[in-house]
Amino acid sequence: MTIYILLSIPLLACGLTAVVPSRRWMEAIHLASAACSLAAAIFLAWEVLRQGVVSSGNGFLYADPLSALVALLTAFVFLVCAPYAVGYLRRDQADGNLGPLGDAPAALSKLRMYYTLTPLFAFCMYLVVVANNLGVMWIAIEGTTLASIFLVTFYGKPTSLEAAWKYAMIGGVGLSMALFGTVLTYYSAHLVLGGDSVSALNWSVLVLQASHFDKGVMRLAFILILLGFGTKAGLAPMHTWKPDAYCEAPVPVATLMATAVLNCAVYGLARFYVLTVRCLGPAFASNLLILFGLLSVAIAVPFILVQRSSRRLLAYSSIDNGGIMVLGLGFGGVFGILGMLLHMTYHTVTKPLLFLSVGNVQQHTGNDALKKGNSGLLHVLPVSAPIFLLGALAVTGTPPFSMFQSEFMVLRAGFAAQHLALSILFVACLVAIFCGFFHHVTQLVLGPPSGAPREVICPWKTYPIVVLSLLVIAIGLWFPAPLYQLVDGAARILAVPQ
Amino acid sequence: MYFWQDPQFGSRMITLMASLVLVLQIMMVTQRWLITNIRAFALQSFLLACIANTIAYYNHAPHIYAAAVFMLVVKAILLPIVFERLVTKIEIRQEIEPLINAPLSVIVTGLLTLLAYVVAESFHRPDEPMGPASLGHNTLAVAIALFLIGFFMMVNRRKALTQVLALLSAENGIFLAAISLTYGMPMIVELGIFFDVLVAGMVLAILVYRIRETFDSMDVSRLSRLRG
Repeated sequence: MTIYILLSIPLLACGLTAVVPSRRWMEAIHLASAACSLAAAIFLAWEVLRQGVVSSGNGFLYADPLSALVALLTAFVFLVCAPYAVGYLRRDQADGNLGPLGDAPAALSKLRMYYTLTPLFAFCMYLVVVANNLGVMWIAIEGTTLASIFLVTFYGKPTSLEAAWKYAMIGGVGLSMALFGTVLTYYSAHLVLGGDSVSALNWSVLVLQASHFDKGVMRLAFILILLGFGTKAGLAPMHTWKPDAYCEAPVPVATLMATAVLNCAVYGLARFYVLTVRCLGPAFASNLLILFGLLSVAIAVPFILVQRSSRRLLAYSSIDNGGIMVLGLGFGGVFGILGMLLHMTYHTVTKPLLFLSVGNVQQHTGNDALKKGNSGLLHVLPVSAPIFLLGALAVTGTPPFSMFQSEFMVLRAGFAAQHLALSILFVACLVAIFCGFFHHVTQLVLGPPSGAPREVICPWKTYPIVVLSLLVIAIGLWFPAPLYQLVDGAARILAVPQ
Repeated sequence: MYFWQDPQFGSRMITLMASLVLVLQIMMVTQRWLITNIRAFALQSFLLACIANTIAYYNHAPHIYAAAVFMLVVKAILLPIVFERLVTKIEIRQEIEPLINAPLSVIVTGLLTLLAYVVAESFHRPDEPMGPASLGHNTLAVAIALFLIGFFMMVNRRKALTQVLALLSAENGIFLAAISLTYGMPMIVELGIFFDVLVAGMVLAILVYRIRETFDSMDVSRLSRLRG
């Protein structure tokens, strides 16, 4: 029942915003739906903790701790972005970015597009995590791409069309590979399970039989799935759409893409990882995951070091963090898997802080450049700039913050799995990324003042990041016990059976 | 017993249609006109719907009829109509201008088909009562070839619309693999996939239209301002 409520809230919001007459109504519905869906996700997590597994519709929808965790993180980001989006889009309208000033109907139709597509986007992400059927999960992941294409072209500039085209084409190729992988998984299971019933693609059914699957077919299927969902997660070398899309989309959408969509793609990969490991043993899947994970971390290094745009910097940081998650899964063991799940959680809490404060910088100064004229933002944006600095410290894994713990866990898993050289390479990349970030961020925030006017505090755009920054500090020092139970439950699902 | 009730006859028909599908794919690689390309795609989709029907008839699997109907409606009728209207609306030059010339493309296509047969061979199990053995594993090889040639066409084309067609023909390969390997995915999945394909086709058509409006061209090699 809770699952149905979780899915119906964003759909309802999408339908309502399509018909209400004014901007205020759309904003109110958007905020209410974000708050309600977080409440539903928390309730779902609570039910999962109590019962272990929640399923409805004859097992068509299915939530275990892993799904509940990812749903909770998605709902969290959705809620953080909702009030911010209100302030952000109002400012955009005032700046004339939504069509010529004074042309209210044009701006209203743009706003309507945002407020209908974003809940639809969230709906697809919820469906990814609660769909038991792997085919339906694929459909939902493809749905996230389709729902967000027109959000990438939101501003209608030539560059946003270019970004959307890359996003659609690279994503399309990737997801068609993932579909082929799903077909092959179904085939390798079909030989064991037989029948044409809907449940023959249900993960909860497949996982019990996975050891009997056809090994050759499953091997090919996992490669295709890794390439496919890896494209969606932005793993190197299929990452090229990511900086463009993050740069062109409105900031709240970029935030959702950098955190929630990344989580959903890694989630899909993890589901197939469990099947593959049970069928083929851990070595095959792990080696591939380590390869792609480490490549993503390494490829982010040069681009971060020479970056000239702060939003692209964040995109490469997101590629790096996606790589760390996959690397944790690849190293395996208790620490690897726990590290991956904690990294996913911490990253989802921390990354919005950076995106949203960069959004404030960009709307105030009119560009997101790192060098030209942008320096000494501390004097110009006395709230957003220090928060950006804090977020940068947190996301690069500086010790008092939470992401240090998860990165350390992944590293420890690497040493435990006897990957000495790879672990050292991993540390070297992390250090280089830290240096690159700090070179850019300190110059941007602490450099000599550029003489731009001070920001006028907009409560919609400021309170979310202030609250979030307190949360980022808090979660490094104190991890709530129920959340840990959820992470632990999820780790048990991904653990390699002995 | 009539000759069309003989499963052997069905198997031959499927192989024949699958080979025609492959021929159409190779034709799409080499021919020069956009409208022909769209029609070849529509015909290919129609043939795939026929294959699905044949498989449904000989294996008594009624849910594949549904897949055949979706295929016919979405890929053989609706999307080609949308694309043809798009072509007339934006009055683009009709020629395709591939990056690699036709003879070389055909050689690449041949190599990819060969590769597809090698991959399909590893799936072949003569002792298996279900699966590809009963359909002739030619079908699977054709499916993989469609998939690979589709991707080759994507990188070989400069116009936005032809890239979309290439992607959709690669997806046709997945459809063929699904019906020949497992007699189709479960009904709900089939329905969802076709819905996704339809929406993707529409979304991409709108995107192509807006690229054409903004850049005054459909040449995606002009989309090169975002770097680093």
